[in-house]
Amino acid sequence: MAEARISNQIRTLRFLAGEMTQAELGAKIGVTRQTIAAIEQGKYSPTLEAAFRIAAALGKSLDEVFKWEGCGR
Amino acid sequence: MAWLEKTAWVTLAAMLVAYSVYFTVISLTPLSTFSMLALFGAVMVIQVVVVIVVIAVLAALSSGEARAKPDERDRAIARRGASTAYYVLMAGVITVGVIMPFNRSGWSLVNAALFALVSAETVRQLVIVASYRRGWHG
Repeated sequence: MAEARISNQIRTLRFLAGEMTQAELGAKIGVTRQTIAAIEQGKYSPTLEAAFRIAAALGKSLDEVFKWEGCGR
Repeated sequence: MAWLEKTAWVTLAAMLVAYSVYFTVISLTPLSTFSMLALFGAVMVIQVVVVIVVIAVLAALSSGEARAKPDERDRAIARRGASTAYYVLMAGVITVGVIMPFNRSGWSLVNAALFALVSAETVRQLVIVASYRRGWHG
């Protein structure tokens, strides 16, 4: 699996935001449910714009949702 | 599974089966020009029809995801597949160009060029499938 360098709290924050589903979050920011699942699993790093949209949809700041794990390759 | 990953699997499987049959037959059996054209036409038509039918069935079974526009991850993965396949296609075309002056058979060149195209498309679909399965960070 590709190495994830950016971790996130999307799954937890979705639960705290009224148990929002992946499909609902995806619809809010304009991506598919599968892409939200891939982001949660660390299989895809969203663009900066999508990251801001996710944070806004969850009512959090960007650094509450995403965390940079270092610059390992 | 993402919709574009499903279509990549279908395209890859149909292409591998169709052109495996084609290249096996032409390498084992000497064919006339008409027979080779007929074989190529049949293989191509069957492949295209199978892909269209299977994708149409999958679209009918899916709940609207087939109509969704590709998102940023789909586009990033598609770009990765195309850029990787470009190098395979370039290598194939250069190889065909190098052997061209030493070969008098038109069909050998046509088949070599076709093999380069099929190889490039196979690599493209493999990269797309692998990127969805294993992850790709764009």
